[in-house]
Amino acid sequence: MTAIKHALQRDIFTPNDERLLSIVNVCKAGKKKKNCFLCATVTTERPVQVKVVKVKKSDKGDFYKRQMAWELRDLSEVDAKDATKENPEFDLHFEKVYRWVASSTAEKNSFISCIWKLNQRYLRKKVEFVNVSPQLLEESVPSGESQSVAGGDEDALDDYQELNTREEQDIENMMKVCEYAISNAEAFAEKLSRELQVLDGENIQSIMASEKQVNILMQLLDEALAEVDAIEGKLLSYEEMLQSVKEQMDQISQSNRLIQISKTNNGKLLDEIQFLVNYMDLSKGHIRALQEGDLSSPKGIEACINASEALLQCMNVALRPGHDKLLAVKQQQLLFADLRDNFARRLTNHLNNVFVHQGHDQSSTLSQHTAELTLPKHSPLHRDLLRYAKLMEWLKNTQREKYDGLSRTYVDYMTRLYEREIKDFFEVAKIKMAGTTKEGKGKFATLPRKESALKQETESLHGSSGKLTGSTSSLNKLAVSSSNSRRSQSSSLLDMGNMSASDLDVADRTKFDKIFEQVLSELEPLCLAEQDFISKFFKLQHQPAPAQGETMDDMDAMLQSRPASEHRHSISPDKDMVRQMMNKIFHSIETELNSLIALGDKIDSFNSLYMLVKMSHHVWTAENVDPASFLSTTLGNVLVTVKRNFDKCISGQIRQMEEVKISKKSKVGILSFVTVFEEFAELAETIFRNAERRGDLDKAYVKLIRAVFINVEKVANESQKTPRDVVMMENFHHIFSTLSRLKISCLETERKEAKQKYTDHLQYYVINSLGQPLEKLNHFFEGVEARVAQGVREEEVSYQLAFNKQELRKVIKEYPGKEVKKGLDNLYKKVDKHLCEEESLLQVVWHSMQDEFIRQYKHFEGLINRCYPGSGITMDFTIQDMLEYFSSIAQSH
Amino acid sequence: MAANKSKGQSSLVLHKVIMVGSGGVGKSALTLQFMYDEFVEDYEPTKADSYRKKVVLDGEEVQIDILDTAGQEDYAAIRDNYFRSGEGFLLVFSITEQESFSATSEFREQILRVKAEEDKIPLLLVGNKSDLEDKRQVSVTGAREKADEWGVQYVETSAKTRANVDKVFFDLMREVRAKKMAENKDKNGKKSGKKKKSLKERCTLL
Repeated sequence: MTAIKHALQRDIFTPNDERLLSIVNVCKAGKKKKNCFLCATVTTERPVQVKVVKVKKSDKGDFYKRQMAWELRDLSEVDAKDATKENPEFDLHFEKVYRWVASSTAEKNSFISCIWKLNQRYLRKKVEFVNVSPQLLEESVPSGESQSVAGGDEDALDDYQELNTREEQDIENMMKVCEYAISNAEAFAEKLSRELQVLDGENIQSIMASEKQVNILMQLLDEALAEVDAIEGKLLSYEEMLQSVKEQMDQISQSNRLIQISKTNNGKLLDEIQFLVNYMDLSKGHIRALQEGDLSSPKGIEACINASEALLQCMNVALRPGHDKLLAVKQQQLLFADLRDNFARRLTNHLNNVFVHQGHDQSSTLSQHTAELTLPKHSPLHRDLLRYAKLMEWLKNTQREKYDGLSRTYVDYMTRLYEREIKDFFEVAKIKMAGTTKEGKGKFATLPRKESALKQETESLHGSSGKLTGSTSSLNKLAVSSSNSRRSQSSSLLDMGNMSASDLDVADRTKFDKIFEQVLSELEPLCLAEQDFISKFFKLQHQPAPAQGETMDDMDAMLQSRPASEHRHSISPDKDMVRQMMNKIFHSIETELNSLIALGDKIDSFNSLYMLVKMSHHVWTAENVDPASFLSTTLGNVLVTVKRNFDKCISGQIRQMEEVKISKKSKVGILSFVTVFEEFAELAETIFRNAERRGDLDKAYVKLIRAVFINVEKVANESQKTPRDVVMMENFHHIFSTLSRLKISCLETERKEAKQKYTDHLQYYVINSLGQPLEKLNHFFEGVEARVAQGVREEEVSYQLAFNKQELRKVIKEYPGKEVKKGLDNLYKKVDKHLCEEESLLQVVWHSMQDEFIRQYKHFEGLINRCYPGSGITMDFTIQDMLEYFSSIAQSH
Repeated sequence: MAANKSKGQSSLVLHKVIMVGSGGVGKSALTLQFMYDEFVEDYEPTKADSYRKKVVLDGEEVQIDILDTAGQEDYAAIRDNYFRSGEGFLLVFSITEQESFSATSEFREQILRVKAEEDKIPLLLVGNKSDLEDKRQVSVTGAREKADEWGVQYVETSAKTRANVDKVFFDLMREVRAKKMAENKDKNGKKSGKKKKSLKERCTLL
């Protein structure tokens, strides 16, 4: 059994790192013969796994095969069948119940006991043991049993001590020396004890011999100790000497330190004094300059600037804490403050005087400018004042109140001055504007009433320059009264009929355009110069704003972006300050500009096209320079007004279209608003050719053209004298040719639509008119066709009562050639009467009618041939006849 | 003012020009090129259309009325009416199509017949499609001979490249104007020509 166990351990388990603990030879219950071994094993490596392995002996040969293995933890129950009697059977409950018969009861018991121990050790007694004799399940298994499972008992293993290799070798050597050792153990033992006795004796002898040497060693030690004591005494005396030297050295170093301290203190004091003298001393020359320097001569200003800078430096010296406790410093500071206050007062007074003086001075020279449309330049004043810029900076830094007061005074005087100048400037501009129209129309021998009204207006402007509000209102009244006399459809000053695109008006308009441009380009440098001056003079410099790269497509986008950009720039308080001052100084610009625009708009609402283009261009440039500047904000605001006027001009046109009334007696022809639209578009194309505002115009175009379309249709429906189709045809033909000529890309669809409407209505008109000359024939054949459509066969139509040959002959007889010719003649006359001269569509229409008439004739003939075959009925006139009629009509006109 | 203006516009001298020729020779193309500076590649037969444009003819602002006609009618008599309304004619053929050249004689005869009472009718023989030199079927000399025979000017044009387009219209207008002046002179012999005088007045104004 043990042999088998060894063999199994070697062959199967050692290669698997397992240790075989117990083995039992078993065969399956029921089946004899096939015997195999159940082995309980543990792995040598941790964590320990406990397994029950079934090993089978191979039939041939003498080796074993691992057949099956279970984890012990899968074992739920061990059943030994009988606890008291000896019985080799037992059951193991794994995933199912395995029944075994052991080859002997002893093996079975030993195996079960091993399982029990393993259970105790590794599985916390999970496995149930049934029918096992309690004897087996005790810790202290009888020793005989225990030895049979010795490999499994690890405690026994621990006691065993192996010989190490050296001991092993020694023993082997010794054994070799005594060859007989193994054969004769007693002799060997005796030999060993003999040798041991000899060794003992030698040992005792050597111990006794060493005593003398020990005594000598002791003596030597005593001598050494005495020597050591002597050296120690010497060392002590040296130390005492050193101590006294050290004390002296300490004293020397302390006095040295004191000397050092007093030296640095002296140095510092000198520095302080030097510092105070250097920085808090103001030269006599400076003091004099501050007290009585000449503020009107450049040299004096120069001296004052230097002095004030020096004073500022002196006053701004960063004093260390404690300095102010020095009497001299205090006195000096007092002196400085005194100087400062005095100088500030002197400067303020002087500048105040300068402002006042300049304000009056400028106004006195103003009258010279009135003849031309220019604004007086302020550059000499600015140049004079800029000399004080440094002093202003000084004032700003030292005396904020005085500085503020001064800037207020400046703004006050400048406001008055500019207000006057701007007012006069705009007055001139308005006179010129009104004068333009007057001059232009003046060439006509007969001035319409509106022109005379304008003339009066200009005269009143000349007379009462300054009372602008009054004069514009009078303009309003005059305009209203004058308009009453004009055509019914022109109910307001926005009289489009007036706006002919003749050269004269264009010249007029360009003149207006020039004046407006001049106004803007005069204002622009003025504002920029003033703004520049203010920021320089009042030291409100700011970093130049980054140019805005974005271009606004249309007004709405720009209006939206405006508050945002304002917000962005309001961060700088200096800039804000400049804008506030500019707003105050030029507060009149916006109202004046607006009133100028209103006047321009009154003179001619088409002027707003020019103004829109010019204004947006200027806004655009201004914004490129500085989007937050006063100029660009103001112009931006005014642009809104201009845009509104433009929109008003457009909606005014639309309203006029809606109000158009057509006289009941004369033919309609080309509607006035269609030609007005043509003129508007022509003008707008020239004005907006290269403008940034193209988008606005395109929007307006679409609105206008839609209104034109709608109102043409409306008028066409209301028209009494002229047929609807003629009104539609002629007007859409005109619109189509206008759009084709001007090539306005955004109206391409409208162009196509107009063409479609023109051709459609031409067709309707032709067909409707042609019904008349052969009316009854038409009715008859319509009836025939209706029958055929109802399913009557063509050859059988003649059997219908209403459409028999008799009836046909009767109808045909009503249209002898002479009658037809007369009918065509009348038709031609009627068409001629319907159509207007301007569109010259008569030939076009007549051509279509001829075509259509021939087509009808052929159609009738075809129907006769098909429906009345063999009847021999023909029309009363032939195609040849008909062509002759046409020729004769042609000859008679 | 409005009345003034509309009178002013309609009182501009109006020259009525008719485009004549077979189908597809480029009458509409010439017209559109002259009117709108555009060249339409797609061919779509015209029925009839009328165009009007203000032009400056030798310093005088005039209006030209162009009637662009169909070249493909079944019955020639249909043309009588508009031939009669015309004051000047551009008789167009395509240099790439012999047939269209031959047809010009027929057109001319009809014009002469319709306007029989007038002794000289302003007319230009126009050979269009001069850009298609490689497809030429009608020789310049042949066309010129015919023009000389008729006593009219022969001009080759290209509606595509705009070559000579303005020339044919302006030359024709000059002929029309010359004829009108001559007629006025005849009338003036009897009673003072109202039209001419008013015309002069306007000229000074402009």
